Amino acid sequence: MPRETVVVVGASLAGGTAAATLRDEGFDGRIVLIGEEPELPYQRPPLSKTYLRGESARDTLLVRPDDWWTEHEVETRTGTRVQALDPAARTATLADGEAIAFDRCLLATGVRNRALDVPGVDLEGVVHLRTMADSDRIRAAAADAGHVVVVGMGFIGAEVAASLRMLGVEVTVIELYETALRKVLGLRLGDVLAAIHRDHGVAMRFNDAVGRFEGSTRVERVVTRDGDMIDCGLVVVGIGTVPSTEASGALALAPDGGVAVDARLETAVPGVFAAGDVASHAHPVLGRVRVEHFDNAVKMGAHAARAMLGSPDAFDDPHWFWSDQYDQHLQMGGVALTDDMVVRGSLEERSFCAFFLDEGGVLRASVALNRPRECRRSLPLIRAGVAPDRGLLADPDVDLRTLA
Amino acid sequence: MGDYFTIGRGDEVVEGDAAAFEIQGTQVAVARVGGALYAFGDICTHQGCTLMPGGELDGTELTCGCHGSMFSIETGAVLDGPATQPIEVYPSREVDGEIQIEV
Repeated sequence: MPRETVVVVGASLAGGTAAATLRDEGFDGRIVLIGEEPELPYQRPPLSKTYLRGESARDTLLVRPDDWWTEHEVETRTGTRVQALDPAARTATLADGEAIAFDRCLLATGVRNRALDVPGVDLEGVVHLRTMADSDRIRAAAADAGHVVVVGMGFIGAEVAASLRMLGVEVTVIELYETALRKVLGLRLGDVLAAIHRDHGVAMRFNDAVGRFEGSTRVERVVTRDGDMIDCGLVVVGIGTVPSTEASGALALAPDGGVAVDARLETAVPGVFAAGDVASHAHPVLGRVRVEHFDNAVKMGAHAARAMLGSPDAFDDPHWFWSDQYDQHLQMGGVALTDDMVVRGSLEERSFCAFFLDEGGVLRASVALNRPRECRRSLPLIRAGVAPDRGLLADPDVDLRTLA
Repeated sequence: MGDYFTIGRGDEVVEGDAAAFEIQGTQVAVARVGGALYAFGDICTHQGCTLMPGGELDGTELTCGCHGSMFSIETGAVLDGPATQPIEVYPSREVDGEIQIEV
């Protein structure tokens, strides 16, 4: 019997984890892992945090050590991309024209940064953050930038701002919404995060946006839509992402722009799967979700590998992520907040776990600041879809595990 | 063989949980699971967070509160998450109500 071939499109955290899991689970067929970046799969969270600050070395980010891939006969094709995926003919064609026939395929192409469409965006010193090389560039440029403007105060913007302040760099953030992390955390919790940044000396201009960048060859200032001028030597843009679906061929996309997969991560084409940021997943508890976080990329990557090997299991992880800013540990369980918030602890003291209930009282999400245990203990409750008593949720003496 | 050092009282470590201690500049944690003691290095090998009290213990599996790395407190092995290096584990015992570990 000929050896089976699995092609993994995207040498990403999800793709790399899937390839490694295939071997860990005993798959002895051919595995081809294809990525655009020169690097083998690595973890991205440190790129805005410890790696950006020079505290974590490259090797600590790797999904597997450099030698692991050849030792385990995973063919890695880096610095190239899949030009055309033909799900029906089961071939992936690379940029150089090589066609690879596969039995199963995993799309793990992730997302790319949303472009900022304003005059001057092509000036030198206006950068985005996605890759290790981007993080290297920001670290090097920030050292003598004088003043850095961060555009957007989602997680990337907030974490970059924090890291640059920790390095002693002056930072101004320009954010379209009225507070930090508004879209993910809502107004009240976003304000808690904004206050933390204010305490650390970040200048924040909310309800404003970039009008244009000015400079001769290199960016020298930002002119905001409200007409304010901010001199700067570096601009880091973090205004969101769009799924990288160029390689997805004729596969159906979901309304959220991702590649639509069923509960066990398979697309409508049998044998073709998607995982990580690019996957729009029919979650058995949370409904259709597309999640762009580390933990999901790892767990989905591993799950997709097992699904490709025949596991019938649905992927039902309740989702969880963290964001470290300064010495503050923010964590969230679930994928979307609701309007009904029950707080355990204190927002003012920056030690809380906030629980978000839907109209039926079912716990859908939790956000914790410096209370990691309570966030973690809320995850099984979210997964199980329970409707806990509000008083018990708010009571710090109640062990959340007893509410399952 | 190293020496056993007393690090704290047995009643500081309740069943199903772990507590953090410091011995000669080393941060260690001791868990009590099914009546048995498990001593391990209290610093996560991922990014240096202290494992206790923020971590979550489920049997002998410990999940770091910061970034979700999961370790076996029996062997120190990484079971899940972003960490790639194991944590230290130490022999431990309870003598006359005191917890001792071998370092």
